[in-house]
Amino acid sequence: MDNIAVKVDDLTVAYNYKPVLWDIDLEIPEGVLMAIVGPNGAGKSTLIKAILGILKPIAGSVTIYGNPYDKQRKLVAYVPQKGSVDWDFPTTALDVVMMGTYGSLGWIKRPKQKEKKAALEALEKVGMLAFKNRQISQLSGGQQQRIFLARALAQNASIYFMDEPFQGVDATTEIAIINILKELRKAGKTVIVVHHDLQTVPEYFDWVTFLNVKKIATGPVKDIFNDNNLTKTYGINYKVSIQK
Amino acid sequence: MNSAQIEIQLIASLVAIACAIPGTFLVLRKMAMISDAISHSILPGIVIGFFITQDLNSPLLIVLAALTGIITVVLVEYIQKTGLVKEDTAIGLVFPAMFSIGVIMIAKNANDIHLDVDAVLLGELAFAPFDRLEISGVDVGPKSLWIIGSILLVTITLLLAFFKELKVSTFDKGLAASLGFSPAIIHYGLMSVSSVTTVGAFDAVGAILVVALMIAPAATAYLLTTDLKKMLGLAIGFGALSAISGYWFAHWLDASIAGSITTMLGLLFLIVYLFAPSKGVIAVMYREKQQRTEVSLLTFLLHLKNHTEKRERHVNHLQEHINWQKVRAKTVLDLALKNNMITISNDIVSLTKKGNTFTSKAIDYIITNEDTQIEDMKEDFFLFRG
Repeated sequence: MDNIAVKVDDLTVAYNYKPVLWDIDLEIPEGVLMAIVGPNGAGKSTLIKAILGILKPIAGSVTIYGNPYDKQRKLVAYVPQKGSVDWDFPTTALDVVMMGTYGSLGWIKRPKQKEKKAALEALEKVGMLAFKNRQISQLSGGQQQRIFLARALAQNASIYFMDEPFQGVDATTEIAIINILKELRKAGKTVIVVHHDLQTVPEYFDWVTFLNVKKIATGPVKDIFNDNNLTKTYGINYKVSIQK
Repeated sequence: MNSAQIEIQLIASLVAIACAIPGTFLVLRKMAMISDAISHSILPGIVIGFFITQDLNSPLLIVLAALTGIITVVLVEYIQKTGLVKEDTAIGLVFPAMFSIGVIMIAKNANDIHLDVDAVLLGELAFAPFDRLEISGVDVGPKSLWIIGSILLVTITLLLAFFKELKVSTFDKGLAASLGFSPAIIHYGLMSVSSVTTVGAFDAVGAILVVALMIAPAATAYLLTTDLKKMLGLAIGFGALSAISGYWFAHWLDASIAGSITTMLGLLFLIVYLFAPSKGVIAVMYREKQQRTEVSLLTFLLHLKNHTEKRERHVNHLQEHINWQKVRAKTVLDLALKNNMITISNDIVSLTKKGNTFTSKAIDYIITNEDTQIEDMKEDFFLFRG
């Protein structure tokens, strides 16, 4: 059996005492490229945030390679939703990517040449090296998303969590991003993506989790990405033509 | 200048600098109003501290006041978290309540001592040099200079130590949390520094004007730079500049120093707001006008590209058919000529090779929004700068 990268046990998360995730059990094997799908309000982002310790669950536990997240931080990179930050913040593309290296530095220590080099390499991987000194508000939506991806790459993690990386990006950027994600998988990394476009699930991902407050199903796309699970998740009769 | 004048300017400058540093982060975190709340609600802390120590410059006062500041922030967040009211309402509920508790405490107990509401609201910098600090009989300067100096030293040390943490948690709270930099610790750290600084500045400028010292320099700096370090530097510079020019303005008018400093802050902001090179009102107006012309130019070039027949390319056609005023038609023609995009012979306009490529690239960009092709065009044209 493969290594389990992320294990979630009996996870329940509530906002103002109203549960938004109910009793989630989930095992994510190492080396998969996984989509989390579900309707709006299904708790997709919440699940990621709870795994990363950004939200406190009211019950349950999460382990990363068998240990609590606190101990495994350096193995994990996170790409929040692009809309969650203020892009008018006075800083440059390179500086944002450098933030990815802060975790390995810890408190107080400042980034040096080594961190800058890692950031420049990450920028190059996403094809944004030419924009390194650009103020971030002067970037297009797709470029901003690439900067976020570069920041995660600069963390040099084993597991990547991404919250809707394809939101508001053009087709070229979407392809560029998915190619990088596939390369990560090839390098043995685990990538977990909150995803909205059901049509592209079979093409982009090899693993999928259906979520709607409760976990509906999780497993290989080729086995479980079917009308039955889609209907259970979205509550209406769902018919997608799956290209196999 | 006598030594009292120098001391006052020094105190005012240090106060301004000490306020500008947390102020920069408050502005970037869109929490400007929390500084208003803190500055008012630390009053009960100051009053209680004063009752205990009978000394307006006691460190206990600073600790108690800072504590009340933190309590205010916690209360605001607690009320907001219930989801029943929004943040601004929560702020509006908490700080007047705290402030009025302080006002009642002063009125009930402190009538005969040196602690009146006017001094608390407006401060009095002119008296600062009279309250001296003596160490074993030797006069080492005004007490408030030592207090604000120490606060500033601590603030700068914290800023240098935690600059990276402050930056990442201000820009992206989620990332900061996932990296292990608890946004709550940084948030309360910043709130503590803001509270302590407010207490230190209180004596000099009072509860109302300390807000201006926190917010105005940072807001002014924000209009001038896209680099956080420069923004901090500029905010500090604007703070100190207003403090010194404000002092002399007050000297000249024979008016309140605190009021004059704040007036200077307002003036500086107004000047920068109007004349800042890229974000200023005038720059924005100029840019919009240029963009309009550029759109016209592009329309014209596209028209030339689409029409080979002479009738459509006659100089006068611009006015007759595209329906432009004479001035606008001339501006557009001149701009195109200046950039070697067109040639005119016998009043017939033709695209040059450069004009032709430019048009294709520009149209391509507008349709696809892919701007790698047009990097070289951004220099000359606002239209392509996104």
